[in-house]
Amino acid sequence: MINLFEVARKLSESEVEFVIVGGVAIRSHGGNYVTEDLDICYSRTNENLKRIAAVLGPLRPRPRGMEKSLPYVFDWTTLQHGTNFTFETVMGDIDLLGEVKGLGSYLDLVSESIVVDLDGFSANILSIPALIVAKEAAGRPKDEAGLKVLYALQEAELDEF
Amino acid sequence: MSRKREEKLLNPKPGSKIAEAQDYGIDLTQLIENLRLSPSERIKRNDDAANSMVRFAEAMRAAKSERRQEEKL
Repeated sequence: MINLFEVARKLSESEVEFVIVGGVAIRSHGGNYVTEDLDICYSRTNENLKRIAAVLGPLRPRPRGMEKSLPYVFDWTTLQHGTNFTFETVMGDIDLLGEVKGLGSYLDLVSESIVVDLDGFSANILSIPALIVAKEAAGRPKDEAGLKVLYALQEAELDEF
Repeated sequence: MSRKREEKLLNPKPGSKIAEAQDYGIDLTQLIENLRLSPSERIKRNDDAANSMVRFAEAMRAAKSERRQEEKL
């Protein structure tokens, strides 16, 4: 059962340093995009990696596409040995990004995000202008519709046009 | 949602980015509906929609598998 909202809550309540990017960020700004994964850019300090592992561990993460019969050990040292990860979990797919093309790493993204109240907890969500920068930098055909939505939302936010 | 924002999406100005999105095929009424929700409601509705899509995909797989079985008989 996909429950990306609950994953965001768990991350926030465990004081994980992260910024929500990608489809969930677009959705939270009002986009009509439906996504099955939660993309976050995360701080790569050891302390933060331990917090992420503590939250995701019980969700039984495995690399997406990995043969189910193969064993996989997930702990905070797993996260030390890479930067970007694409996991499937019992609450949906979760992508951990150490860097976002066009924007940089966690600290760069924090300054480009807004703190959003999400019914009892808060999370950093990448701003519309920064999402546009990231999508443009990625240059993927699959992002074309998302970009059109972001441009429209940005324009709708402007006081005058 | 502020009236002005909703009006912009309801009646896009020709040549605007909003009009461009509409021409591209983006359903602006869905944006209006989403903007009337709180951010948490928007994410929860995404979860609901994603779960529905998964259920549809599972039902489709099951139906195709059943058809293949019938064709074998």
